[in-house]
Amino acid sequence: MESLDRELEQGELELPADPVHLNMGPSHPAMHGTVRIVLELSGEIVTKADVQIGYLHRGFEKMCERGTWAQVFPYVDRLNYVSPMLNNVGYALAVEKLCGLVVPERCQWYRMALGELARIADHLTCTGAMAMELGATTPYLWFIKAREMIWDILEEETGARLTHSFGRIGGMASPPSPDFAALCGAALPRILETVEEGEKLLLRNRIFLDRLQGVGVISGADAVSLGWTGPCLRATGVAYDIRKAHPYLKYDEVDFDVPVGHAGDTLDRFLVRLGEIRQSKRIIEQSLLRMPTEGPVNCDDPRMVLPEKGEVYTTIEATIRHFKLIMEGSKVPMGEVYSYTEAGNGELGFYLVSDGTGTPYRVRVRPPCFQVVGGLSRLIEGRLLSDIVPTFGSLNMIGGECDH
Amino acid sequence: MSRIALDKLRERFGPLVLETHSEFGDDTAVVEPGIWRDVCLFLRDDPDLDFNLPIDLCGVDYPISEAAARRRTLPGRMEVVLHLYSIGRRHRVRLKTRVGDEAMEGAELDSLTSIWPGLDWLEREVFDMSGVRFRGHPDLRRILMYPEFEGHPLQRTYPAAKTQPLVPYRTEASAGMPVDKLEPFGAHEGMPFGRQPAPRPEKED
Amino acid sequence: MPTFKLDGRSIPFEAGDTIIKAAWRHGIEIPHYCWHPGLSAPANCRMCLVEILPNPGQRPITLDVLAWNDASHEYTTTQKPKLQPACRTAVTEGLDVLSDSSEHVRKARRDVQEFLLLNHPVDCPICDQSGECKLQDYWLEHGQFKKRMRDEPVHKPKAVEFGETIVYDGERCVMCTRCVRFMAEVAKDPVLDMRERGNLNEIVVAPGRRLDGHYTFMTEHVCPVGALTTKDFRFKARVWFLRSASVVCQGCATGCNAYLDYDPRHNKAYRHRPRDNARVNDFWMCDEGMLTYKEAHEGRVLGARLRGVEIPVAQALDQVRALFGGVSSSAVAIVLSAEHSLEDNWALHELGTKLLGTEGVFFAARPEGYEDDILIHRDKNSNTRGVRSVAPEAKPVGELVGHVESGRVTHVISLGSTALVVRDILARATWLSLAAHEGVLPELATVVIPVTSWAEHSGTYVNSRGLRQVSDKALEPQGESKAAWKVIGSVAAALGHDASWRSLRAVRSELLGIDEGGATRPPSSSAIDEGGATRPPSSSPEGVPL
Repeated sequence: MESLDRELEQGELELPADPVHLNMGPSHPAMHGTVRIVLELSGEIVTKADVQIGYLHRGFEKMCERGTWAQVFPYVDRLNYVSPMLNNVGYALAVEKLCGLVVPERCQWYRMALGELARIADHLTCTGAMAMELGATTPYLWFIKAREMIWDILEEETGARLTHSFGRIGGMASPPSPDFAALCGAALPRILETVEEGEKLLLRNRIFLDRLQGVGVISGADAVSLGWTGPCLRATGVAYDIRKAHPYLKYDEVDFDVPVGHAGDTLDRFLVRLGEIRQSKRIIEQSLLRMPTEGPVNCDDPRMVLPEKGEVYTTIEATIRHFKLIMEGSKVPMGEVYSYTEAGNGELGFYLVSDGTGTPYRVRVRPPCFQVVGGLSRLIEGRLLSDIVPTFGSLNMIGGECDH
Repeated sequence: MSRIALDKLRERFGPLVLETHSEFGDDTAVVEPGIWRDVCLFLRDDPDLDFNLPIDLCGVDYPISEAAARRRTLPGRMEVVLHLYSIGRRHRVRLKTRVGDEAMEGAELDSLTSIWPGLDWLEREVFDMSGVRFRGHPDLRRILMYPEFEGHPLQRTYPAAKTQPLVPYRTEASAGMPVDKLEPFGAHEGMPFGRQPAPRPEKED
Repeated sequence: MPTFKLDGRSIPFEAGDTIIKAAWRHGIEIPHYCWHPGLSAPANCRMCLVEILPNPGQRPITLDVLAWNDASHEYTTTQKPKLQPACRTAVTEGLDVLSDSSEHVRKARRDVQEFLLLNHPVDCPICDQSGECKLQDYWLEHGQFKKRMRDEPVHKPKAVEFGETIVYDGERCVMCTRCVRFMAEVAKDPVLDMRERGNLNEIVVAPGRRLDGHYTFMTEHVCPVGALTTKDFRFKARVWFLRSASVVCQGCATGCNAYLDYDPRHNKAYRHRPRDNARVNDFWMCDEGMLTYKEAHEGRVLGARLRGVEIPVAQALDQVRALFGGVSSSAVAIVLSAEHSLEDNWALHELGTKLLGTEGVFFAARPEGYEDDILIHRDKNSNTRGVRSVAPEAKPVGELVGHVESGRVTHVISLGSTALVVRDILARATWLSLAAHEGVLPELATVVIPVTSWAEHSGTYVNSRGLRQVSDKALEPQGESKAAWKVIGSVAAALGHDASWRSLRAVRSELLGIDEGGATRPPSSSAIDEGGATRPPSSSPEGVPL
């Protein structure tokens, strides 16, 4: 048999120098909520990255133009579906800004408590998933167990674990259940315990730290010019939190701190989120103390809020009110408004345009992770292929929100 | 919001700032599309204004066929809305302009990606959803829709019930059984309720 | 133009106007139940009360009222201005009227609305007026109160049959007497009246009579609430699923303007409603006209036929080519139809006279019928004058009989379904019928190709007074039907000719050059603009509910 070796002159053998194109996603275990990253690799180094989103685009903004203002609530639930209550509250506040409504105090505390619970769930999911993608499945399952406790509370309050559709224009769908404070009081310490256990496993682990530290670095100025907000921005050292800078609801009456990083790398984003969980716990505890145990949760504006069901069945006035609000929608005054809240990923903005009828003319959602993922290619270009996973995980892209 | 931004804009650009208002506490300025880039440079670089965080860019369609066209005090169909924030000064401003005629001819604006790189993807989204082109954008292609998609979905004239399957629907012949392919919902289906004016008779051809 | 002030705005008015009418002309609504621009104003609902500021130098007319004083915990006498009903107060130059801007007016409206709803049954879920009910609209705009009464509401007869067409519900009635006044003033048959007093009021039919006649549907139309309902529309559809198209009634040559309400999800027409047009039908329509909406669906020809057997349209066109090809122009005749629009008739006229070169132009029409001096015309065709304007030389189809019997004419193309023609001449000629409804012509024709009814395409009709009116498209074409002018284009193509018209716009631009006197002038009643949409006549503003 002939030798398979080729006799080659020195210098004649040329290694292939074409870049390798690698396709990550959209179906990929680490691509949260379907994202496709087309990579050009030179060895293991990413020379070019093209981040392609839109796989979960469902036409949210177009659908809002087909119903009434109140029918948008189930849609906003499905934006950031890991912390839907924050979306509900954000949208409700936007419409109330346009209508000039202020909800009763009990509702404001209630919204804060529920919103912060959702934020904790969001951060638990993000940090847990980051750890899992690096191989640490145990803390992920622990964090999910902690998240289950939050979902149990939300199920007790709203009837659904995830997509509550609980917000209403002028209030909430129903008042707090009598056990709400007790449930939170029991769950929050256990959630914190779980977080600490997870931290113990991760934050002293050499491999974990090496994979996160110094990876995906961005400076504060760059992050700001990219439009970043939320934990990703705060990890770079820019202390911009809407709850402190432009307080809404009762955030100016509670004590909490804003965790801020300094290196702007993946580890800081991870730590900022864990820090925010602790601050959210403080906010919830204070809100539950301050929330009145009785009193109305909804405004009494008959143009916006549905009447009591008992009255609807027995009096003509309530029937008419119910009919008009459901069939034609609450007539929101003509105009445009931009309203913003601090959601799990940053500034969640709603730009609403109303033509004075019960149907929205335009509902624009400003998704915080859209801008953040826009900066992803900058973070991974020049780094190793394996750095993509923790970097992308730390940005907490939620497909529903990014692609709306 | 930012009164000072409105004052400074009016002072600097005069009649090219077509309208300003502060409804619901949001300070808004509507400018001529020609000065779009200059205004944004000014807003970013002026030390009193210092708008360094680009919040959002979107398009809102006001075609004549819509009842909301009575809000049309300005020429142009597609309104492009930019929200800006200054982290240092803690104020916001909304900047608007109108581009395009009824057929969306001439719906072009200068790209702002060299001023705030974060508007890269937002401009792609406005192009994709509303059909406004941005001159000088490094990579203006669709972002949310697939590349073969035709049309711009958030334009009010794009019917919400239209489907554009990339793979044609099966026919009864190829499936070997009756196939009921319905539209997701009819063009006039259910919402929004309320008696509508008669749809404009289509160009019968 | 003399003007007066309403809420600070200067509104022009015509001599003899009341405040509410002048405002209505201008598109401003002062809430009302009993007023109607076409009827007398009894001022019994008190919803249109407005505050009229006294002339300078005059004292205002005030009433002493008792108002609860919270501070002193007792009733004290205060004065409030006497409000006037806007439907009975004539407008004079310089009158200063406050409507929405007066606190007293707003309170009065709220209180009137509360009284009206005091004994009102909780019927919204089953009431047909839901969605177009003034009680609902005004409660939201002017009331928003809760029920204060604790007693059982007064009960009255419900679902009383007034006649063949109308059902009355006493509990829903607000006693505005619009129905009573309509029958007395417009239908000239004062058969309805009010009975009893106070909160026992109800509307009754005169003893020994039923609510009959030709205008009973209008009592339902004027009723602002769900008290009067038509047996025809009761429980058939919810109005918020219905879209409205501005059409012209096809019942007779009056050409009343109407809205055809149809459900676009099922492509089904549910009812007519009258549309205001001061030049044609004022605010009314007759019962027969109201029921013509059924013709959109009943007795329709939806598929092509060859000698009675259903065939595909393409095959029918092939048959047309086979049967009509090569026939000499003198052997062909066309029959226009007074039931079809100008566009359809014009296209057939073009095909016949210009492309096929025939001189045998005839027209068919429905037979004459009942007429009265209110709205109903004896000519039951909607476009007789239109056919005459398109084809002044057209002769009645009866004259075709002789030609066919003598064999001079062997091939006929006809539009429409009715013709007073001897049936067996149809069998002697090769007949192509382009019909929307079953009738003599499609029944016995050789080839039938379905065309759309008036509801499924935009068409122009000329009424008995020569007014050209456009009827908009409402439904999508059903079955295989297409607009007749389009089908005629296909027939022309099948016969080897090139139809010069490809779009509705092309047909209309040719039509605009045609007129009764032969002179070119724009259509008189409604402009045909780019999209073919009708603009409402200026005398009654759109969108102000009656």
